[in-house]
Amino acid sequence: MGWWHGLRERMSAWTRPAARDRDLDTEIAHHLDLEADRLQRAGLTPNEARRQALERFGDRADVVESTRAARRRPGTEGIVQDVAYAIRMLRKQYAFSGLAVATLALGIGATTAAFAVVNTVLLRPLPYRDADRLVFLREVTATHSLNPPSHPNVVDWRDRAQSFDGVVSAMFPSAATVRSAPSADPLRLTVMGVSRGFFRTLGVTPEQGREFTDEENTLGGARVVMVSDEFWRTQMGGRLPLGDVIVNGTAKAVIGVVPPDFSFATPAGLNRLSSSADPVMIYLPHEQAPGTCRTCRNYMVVARLKPDVTIERARAEMTALTAAMRAQYGTDITAVDVDVRDLRDYVAGDHRTLLMVVLGAAALVLLMACTNLVSAQLARGWTREPEVLIRTALGASRGRVIRQLMIENGVIVFVGAAAGLALAAGLTRIVTAVGFNQLPRLAELSIDGRIVAFTIAVSAATLLAVGIYPAWRLSRADAAGALRSTRGTGGSVRAAAWRVLLGFEIALALALSVGSALLVRTMANIMTADTGFESHRLLTASITPSERDVAHLDDARVDLAALPGVEDVAYTTRLPLSWGSNAGPVRRRTDPPGPDWPAFAGFRMVSPGYFDVLKQHVLQGRAFTSADGEHGEPVAIITPGIAATLWPGQNPIGQTIGTNYLFDEWLTVVGVVAEASIWSQPKGTQNEIYVPYAQHLHALPGQTQLIAMIRAAMGPDALTEPVRQSLRRTLPDSPALIRPMDARIEQSAASRRFVMVALTTFAGVAIVLAAIGIYGVLWYMVTTRSREIGIRLALGATPGVVQRRVLGGAVLIAIGGCAVGALAAMVASRFLEAQLYEVTPHDLRTYLASAGVIVLAVLAGAWLPAWRASRVDPLETMRAEVS
Amino acid sequence: MTTPDSTLIPGTFEMLILKALSLGPIHGWGVAERIERLSDGVCEIQQGAVYPALQRLLLKGWVIASWRESDNGRRARYYRLTASGRAHLQQELTWWRRAIGGVDRVLRSTTEES
Repeated sequence: MGWWHGLRERMSAWTRPAARDRDLDTEIAHHLDLEADRLQRAGLTPNEARRQALERFGDRADVVESTRAARRRPGTEGIVQDVAYAIRMLRKQYAFSGLAVATLALGIGATTAAFAVVNTVLLRPLPYRDADRLVFLREVTATHSLNPPSHPNVVDWRDRAQSFDGVVSAMFPSAATVRSAPSADPLRLTVMGVSRGFFRTLGVTPEQGREFTDEENTLGGARVVMVSDEFWRTQMGGRLPLGDVIVNGTAKAVIGVVPPDFSFATPAGLNRLSSSADPVMIYLPHEQAPGTCRTCRNYMVVARLKPDVTIERARAEMTALTAAMRAQYGTDITAVDVDVRDLRDYVAGDHRTLLMVVLGAAALVLLMACTNLVSAQLARGWTREPEVLIRTALGASRGRVIRQLMIENGVIVFVGAAAGLALAAGLTRIVTAVGFNQLPRLAELSIDGRIVAFTIAVSAATLLAVGIYPAWRLSRADAAGALRSTRGTGGSVRAAAWRVLLGFEIALALALSVGSALLVRTMANIMTADTGFESHRLLTASITPSERDVAHLDDARVDLAALPGVEDVAYTTRLPLSWGSNAGPVRRRTDPPGPDWPAFAGFRMVSPGYFDVLKQHVLQGRAFTSADGEHGEPVAIITPGIAATLWPGQNPIGQTIGTNYLFDEWLTVVGVVAEASIWSQPKGTQNEIYVPYAQHLHALPGQTQLIAMIRAAMGPDALTEPVRQSLRRTLPDSPALIRPMDARIEQSAASRRFVMVALTTFAGVAIVLAAIGIYGVLWYMVTTRSREIGIRLALGATPGVVQRRVLGGAVLIAIGGCAVGALAAMVASRFLEAQLYEVTPHDLRTYLASAGVIVLAVLAGAWLPAWRASRVDPLETMRAEVS
Repeated sequence: MTTPDSTLIPGTFEMLILKALSLGPIHGWGVAERIERLSDGVCEIQQGAVYPALQRLLLKGWVIASWRESDNGRRARYYRLTASGRAHLQQELTWWRRAIGGVDRVLRSTTEES
């Protein structure tokens, strides 16, 4: 450890030389006293003892000088010495260093955190064995839309495709009523059906028990389920043997526990209004009730490529197989091809662009931090010029001076990067905690080696960006010029460089502000988008009524409606706005059954009063009444899109309509109701067919969910608990999932929300950095030009004029920067275009508002220097110049 | 530049300091006093010379220094030998004995051996 003590000694010799000199003085004084004491004890007089002690010590100044020289022996002239010197310099200028470190920490922290998200969502392999061999399969239609396939088609793929070591499927998650034991409270949980070999093919081994066998996962197989690790630990108390759980009223044996880190690839870009965003707790063998309809679209399919098969070969085989299936099954096959893509790409989906936007924005913040630092360095260079000149005059080479300055920057960047990394670790925690839970895989977010490596690379680039130009300028400092006057009237070259740097910063800040403002407006537009009904003050409670509870649905509705604060209640089998994932065909009686369905529509069974509760306008005919009961004439209400397609120019009321949700039933259209539309789908395409649920109670088995739509008089949140208690009283077997409708709409835009929050934060930081940059540079300009300002004041300029000149200069820079930034924003916002809603990327108001905010920030930054300029005392500056 | 007294063989001064410190931590004056006392006044040195020498030893990591209260109640900087300083002293001593032995044999020789 000798080298360590030596190193510490060197560091202290360089960082605290004054303290070390004081130490030496103390030591010598003590030494002389001790020696004098000794001589006195030997019999000398005090004076004589003192004299001899001094003589025996030798020349004191010589000793001090030699000791100092020993501290900086030639061997210590190196990096260590430079670093120590840099630390000393930076400690002396703590205001500059603190600001520089904080600025860099913000920039590096933001960039690292953004990269951590990108790394997790886009780069890191999925948590399955050999995940890069897994592909996601979807059908491609003639109109190039990508659809999940039907079960019969998946079975054909599984049996016939040669490229794969396993083709497995999962159903879209849904909700079910689950009891962990016969006496336990029922819970409403997310369940997902999986095919044969699902976990085996993904390479996931159950942590307890086993996976479904093929014999279990077939028609008539044993009643078995698998459960998640969370369910096993929290609901089953981690019990072994695993025993039974009750799913939708049926006891099923738990045969395995899925490990805690497992989650099936969350499909990106899916309509998120369903309750299925919660983690899957129960896995069911879906091939016990295999889908039989070939034209349906309801399975997520993953396949594992055989070791020697490329993805291209698999694509070619699937194309050929689709053609063969079309030849065999005719019009039942709606696909023209199969899309085969890397599972990771599928999971990342449209988040790729969004995350790249966030990463780009973070990089801009870092760039601004660097720019700020460069301009501060130039300003500092001004005041440090004498020091550098003296060192050059004393024989330091230019390379040596540059090295010293680069080391100073290196220390700043190092500390800034360390703080930035810590900041990023905190930020990622916030991101995970706050949820933004619609980004896939965010739960896996963490700082790993790749991220640290990224930070190091970014820091190195930062060092180069920050250090080179100021070091080069300083090393070229003009000795003659500077010796004449260390406080000149300011180099015009440097002033121009500053204007460019500041303008650049302002341009970046504007581009970021515009991006964030566009997204803020998008979110606002989404939340106020016309849905065709009144979504505010609407509470939704979804349940799966058990067979016993079905008989009490009316009582439950009456009980809910009687709660204080509830205006009205109605039921529907599907949430409004959850369109798209299962639209089915509708037809006139004259249309032959076949592939050419004239129209598709979502299907809902609703109770009387549903349209009143939602405030959805009945445009024609009537709403359902209690007369539309079990024994009434089968009736339906449709949206205008269906009417226009099936009966163009005719009165739809009184026509008969069929839907493949109700085989062999013909319904009389009694009304046309306005479309309830989600913002993410174009209006006019979200067709719905509504039927009274009282006429189809037989179609309400234990598996189907029913949602009570509760219209609240006030904010719906306060009603959550009373509603839960009411439902527990009236429908004890059917636990409810309760959420405000607005929260569900908001969730459907969660990934945009994430980008909006990120960009707004970055834009805020950028504006602050721009203001700091302006402040710093103007402050230096005013300080170093105090003579010129003093002369102006002496010649009769009023303080107000001087102040306006400084502010005016700042505003000019701001306007120039905003103009450049606006151009940059117009180019860059094209990447955001697909994410915007009801606002164009060139929205003039957004640009003007952003520019306004930035000019205000610049004025705020310039105000203090301007005030100081007006307070310059002309006499003082004159006197200082003379002396 | 203060140098060790010319009566010392060059290069031995630092070895003497290390040896003095190997007897226990002591302040600068104590180092000078120990060397004088143990050599019975033969090695008389300019006492101030111990400070630059101690500084060099500090840089090499053979010695570390810390402030503490001395016998007379004043704060003094005490120097202490590190493990690597002790090892270095051993090397020096080995070298010194060989060198002295060699010189001694030369000086005591009476006949030219063939």
